[in-house]
Amino acid sequence: MQFPRHLRAGIAALTIAASVAGVTACGAGSRTGAQNATAVECDYTMPKESTTVNVLAYNSSAIDPFTNTMVKSCTRDKVTLKHDPIDFGGQVTKTTATLAGDTGSYDIIETYGFVVPGFAANGGIVPLDDYVAKYKDKYKLDALSSQMREAMSYNGKLYGLPMQAQMFILAYRKDVFDKLGLKPPTTFAEMIAAAQTIQAQGGIKYPIALPWNATADITTSYQAAMNSYGTDFLDRSGKPQFTSDASRKALEGLKSLLPYMDPQVTTFDQPKVQQQMFNGTAAMAIMFSGRMNDLTIPTNTKLANDFAFAAPPAVAAGAPYLYSRLSVDGWSIPKNTKLDKDMLFQMIASSVSEDASKAAVPAAYPARSGMVGDNSSKYATAANGTIGKTMPTPGNPAAAPVTNAIRPVLVQIITGKVDVEAGMQQMQALAEKAAAGN
Amino acid sequence: MIADTAKASTLPPRTSVKKPRRRRRNRGSRTAAVLLLLTSVLMLAPFIWTALSVTKPTDVAFANPPVLSGYTPTLQAFRDLWETTYFAQYLTNTLVVAVMSTVVALVIGIPAAYALSRSPGYVSAILLLLALVFRSLPRFSVVLPMYEISKALGIYDTTFALAAALVAINQPFTIWLLRNFFAEIPKELDEAAMIDGCTRVGMLYRVMIPLMRPGILTAGIFVFLFAFQEYLTALVLTDTSSKTVPVFITTQLGQTLPMLQQAGAAAMLLTLPVIAISFIAQKYLVAGLSEGSVKG
Amino acid sequence: MRRREFTLLMAPSLLVMVGLLVVPLVRTIQWSFQKVQYGTPGEFIGLKNYSQALSDPRFGRAVLFTLLLTVVVTVAILVLGYLVATGMNGLGKLRPVVLGAMLVAYVLPNVVGAVSFSWLVDENFGGVVNYVIHALTGADVLWFTETWPNRILLIAHTVWHLLPFSMLMILAGLQGVPAELREAAKIDGATAWTTHRYVIIPTIRGVLGFVCLITIMDVLRTFDSLIPLSPQADAIGNESIMLYVFDVAFRNGSQQLGLGSAINVLSILLILACLFPFIRGLLKEAKAKA
Repeated sequence: MQFPRHLRAGIAALTIAASVAGVTACGAGSRTGAQNATAVECDYTMPKESTTVNVLAYNSSAIDPFTNTMVKSCTRDKVTLKHDPIDFGGQVTKTTATLAGDTGSYDIIETYGFVVPGFAANGGIVPLDDYVAKYKDKYKLDALSSQMREAMSYNGKLYGLPMQAQMFILAYRKDVFDKLGLKPPTTFAEMIAAAQTIQAQGGIKYPIALPWNATADITTSYQAAMNSYGTDFLDRSGKPQFTSDASRKALEGLKSLLPYMDPQVTTFDQPKVQQQMFNGTAAMAIMFSGRMNDLTIPTNTKLANDFAFAAPPAVAAGAPYLYSRLSVDGWSIPKNTKLDKDMLFQMIASSVSEDASKAAVPAAYPARSGMVGDNSSKYATAANGTIGKTMPTPGNPAAAPVTNAIRPVLVQIITGKVDVEAGMQQMQALAEKAAAGN
Repeated sequence: MIADTAKASTLPPRTSVKKPRRRRRNRGSRTAAVLLLLTSVLMLAPFIWTALSVTKPTDVAFANPPVLSGYTPTLQAFRDLWETTYFAQYLTNTLVVAVMSTVVALVIGIPAAYALSRSPGYVSAILLLLALVFRSLPRFSVVLPMYEISKALGIYDTTFALAAALVAINQPFTIWLLRNFFAEIPKELDEAAMIDGCTRVGMLYRVMIPLMRPGILTAGIFVFLFAFQEYLTALVLTDTSSKTVPVFITTQLGQTLPMLQQAGAAAMLLTLPVIAISFIAQKYLVAGLSEGSVKG
Repeated sequence: MRRREFTLLMAPSLLVMVGLLVVPLVRTIQWSFQKVQYGTPGEFIGLKNYSQALSDPRFGRAVLFTLLLTVVVTVAILVLGYLVATGMNGLGKLRPVVLGAMLVAYVLPNVVGAVSFSWLVDENFGGVVNYVIHALTGADVLWFTETWPNRILLIAHTVWHLLPFSMLMILAGLQGVPAELREAAKIDGATAWTTHRYVIIPTIRGVLGFVCLITIMDVLRTFDSLIPLSPQADAIGNESIMLYVFDVAFRNGSQQLGLGSAINVLSILLILACLFPFIRGLLKEAKAKA
């Protein structure tokens, strides 16, 4: 039988396409967003042989400026920094994988306060105090907020160089609020009242949108609600607090919002909440500040100019803190990297230098004190107002496993399959087991 | 219809069946054609919708309610994809892995399939059965250990490791398909060729393979497609230096809107060449499959 | 064929399969008896992982859902695949176009296709299907949070993805049905139904069996499509076994490799049980030939 002619032509075309793709792969200079990044000084000792530094950092408009600055500024001569786009879930998975064992794929990893104690306790990442002492003048590291350095520390040692903080921010539709004479809510009760008014007169069926994704974010929201009452998942001694009064009130507070949110809210991650705002299907949303800059960009949505920002409400009047979490992002160096750690430290230090931090505003809230004035961005006032009213929560290596363990039960409580009391008991039992196993 | 049949019954039997049947068939086949066209539009719906979303300006791309007109289509997402990501490299990785694994799968699969088709004994039945069991294994049960093993061997995150894994994973299907093609070729042919002085292996390459072209092509296309679209194995076995397009696409999801559009654009670019192949190759696929596999 | 030749021809393929499938499989079985994390040596804990998996109601839910999905999808694929292939077989010039269009669903990587599919029913991304349903019936369907609508969505997606392959196989089979057989049936006065029932289907029984087998295998290991299509799969009872494994052994930095492996082993047993009729059939055939 003859080899069919068009098939031969097709295969030839494909081969040509493939080789063109292969050739241009090197020539096209594709590099994630780094072309427009800021160049800062990145003055490490050049290694003798050519070196690739693999950087693991998820993409978001708040993280990207730091990553891109580092990639652009530190890539030269024999050294190439390589950063592949990755989503947050992917970063979590890759971090676990790269820190396990004697060799890893990454030389610099993005970490955040919640996971630092766990990695530090396992010995996956190295303490940075000696490098900080060595380079504190060169990169003005003293100006990094001590509160944020605290958040990246474990047992008194610094394991991540803080780049920025993220806190909850309330984004709302100013046009709708103004028309109905509403003010940004300061408690859940006020938020519900505003939602009722909007439902009745503003023509939006589900005015509130929150990231309550059942496989990830929902625990953060529950923790934020508990924090509003001054209690965290684990107390100072590491004992789970799921049967506490704060826990009950937090759960009831969260559940009270359900009638004003899309019935599928337990499938919403932060991008879907952004979509709700972009599309005008919600009038209020509370998310981490790193997601706020997207809302102000006119190419993302026609409503960009109608959004305003405020500090999030407290769960109830008189609660000591706001419904908020403070998450500090930073850079860590894996213990198993084969590269010179001194060089790596200078790279991460340059990415949080004064110039780099300045350039990251308004997308991010840098860890350097005095970077974000109230006019720095549309949500800067809100961010400055939130940061002091968010409960400081010391890290604990058991926090991550405990959080994963209670999540399924939490979902059942929120969706009404398990009642609050029974659910609290179940979460407590699961948490005790997870904490003990850790 | 009734009139047709009545008239037809007066004609001699042989033609009486044929003529009206053709006419009836015409009307039936027209309905069938319309139904099938509808089905294929339905089957294409997700693809079409994605293509639309990707070519809309970002602010209306995922608007609710959907915006269907009144915008200027744009290829910005494709441009961004090309300029701001390593897409070209991911595409190259994907092609390299797919081509490598297809070639190797065929080179080792053809002799095995031939051997299985020519010895009908208990051993080959057991081997075929094993292949069946291998085909049904949950991916994780082999891929997670492969991750550890490839790390231990220092070949983690290479196109070689991924291609090797895919050869193994797709080998059972390859053998099954090819064996059925070989089974269709009369044994007398081998014997004739062997009498002419060919060795078994020489005969396989000089006589059988030319005869088997449609079958090999069919198997090759399938293995290529499997490798081209594989997600889980690539997710676990690759990282920065051998990432493939399907993995890249999923890492673009759940981030910013422009990146989401780029993911859609990447999906389009990944699919278009394959669509081109399937349009060209489907005729041979059907003919090839009809000759062999189906008697399995 | 001589044994030496057989061995020689078989060896490379067998070596690859043993080296790259059996060796990892042995490791999985080993892990299933251990408490183990990536990159560290495990610690033998006997049957603890198995008892943990078997006593977890989540595993039971996952098994039930996976079986349900498999049965429904396999039946749908066989029926629809046969109907479409029959129509396609009678199609003239249009066939390449229709066939090519249908194959698109099969060549899109599964996870990517699932994301595209989810955009059709997710109002945050347009949700065009929801608008059509709302316009026609006035109803709003909660595709992602209600068990049955979500099941329908998952079934629809799985059928959408797998239909082209089975249609292609069945079409190829139909082309192999000798024209004389149909003619003979016609002359005997058979209706279209009886022709299909007693002539065509028995002739292509082999193909249908093959399609059935492949579909069962593929649906039993459904996994990646659930990530976009069922974001809270476990909470609504729509988690597949493989997604459960992914969750305990890989996702969110979870590292319960031992438990994940035990579930893998259990699901291999389940798959073998499902395939048992086919295996027995094959063995019988081989015995008859030998």
